Amino acid sequence: MIGAVSSVGAVASASAAQITNSSSVTIAGNAVGDFSQMMTQVATDTVAKLRTGEATAISGLQGKATVQQVVEAVSDAQGSLQTVLAVRDKAISAYQEITRMTI
Amino acid sequence: MIDPLDASIKIAGSGLEAQSSRLRVVAENMANAQSTGRVPGSNPYRRKTITFENELDRSTGVDLVKVRDIGVDRTPFRTEHDPGNPAADDQGMVKLPNVNILLEMADLREANRSYEANLQVVKETRDLFSMTLDILKSSS
Repeated sequence: MIGAVSSVGAVASASAAQITNSSSVTIAGNAVGDFSQMMTQVATDTVAKLRTGEATAISGLQGKATVQQVVEAVSDAQGSLQTVLAVRDKAISAYQEITRMTI
Repeated sequence: MIDPLDASIKIAGSGLEAQSSRLRVVAENMANAQSTGRVPGSNPYRRKTITFENELDRSTGVDLVKVRDIGVDRTPFRTEHDPGNPAADDQGMVKLPNVNILLEMADLREANRSYEANLQVVKETRDLFSMTLDILKSSS
């Protein structure tokens, strides 16, 4: 029982350390490091998709891309952004859940 | 491994582009339905045809559709007696394009329906995607 509580505390402090210093993923342990790497990867992919969407929209305005390509790229970017926002909200609510925990 | 929903949108997008090309060909044929030659006895506009083929997209492993080629219709031209036309030969006969407006209208409608179907695939895929994402949003 006590071991379970202390492991929750360890996870909380690890994620706190990760939030205060996002570059020190090694401190936070393997599992947390993988999650943060995954989040970084997802964020990078989303930024790339947003850039592609904007570039395609601009070339569509210039007449170099078809309207179908513009719609495809922009809605792809929109979908990724929505996914990232949903995952971020979920991660923040999980963190708040831990901060509200009765000690 | 690509997300099947992403793949569906990509495939339907290729269908949209293929049907747009078909619409372009129909527009050319209809606009040139009365285009005759310049000099006596010369050939008028020849009806264009379009064919499609499937194409394996190597990065995703799905079959897309693409335009194989835009060819010409070899059926004979219509002729009409119109001595005043600059393209009339010595008997006063003018060659008119082998475009049949009824055929073009049917092709136009078919392109329209096919475009709508592909568009519906895109809409449904987007609906499925946002419905799935809503699970993440609403459950707290």
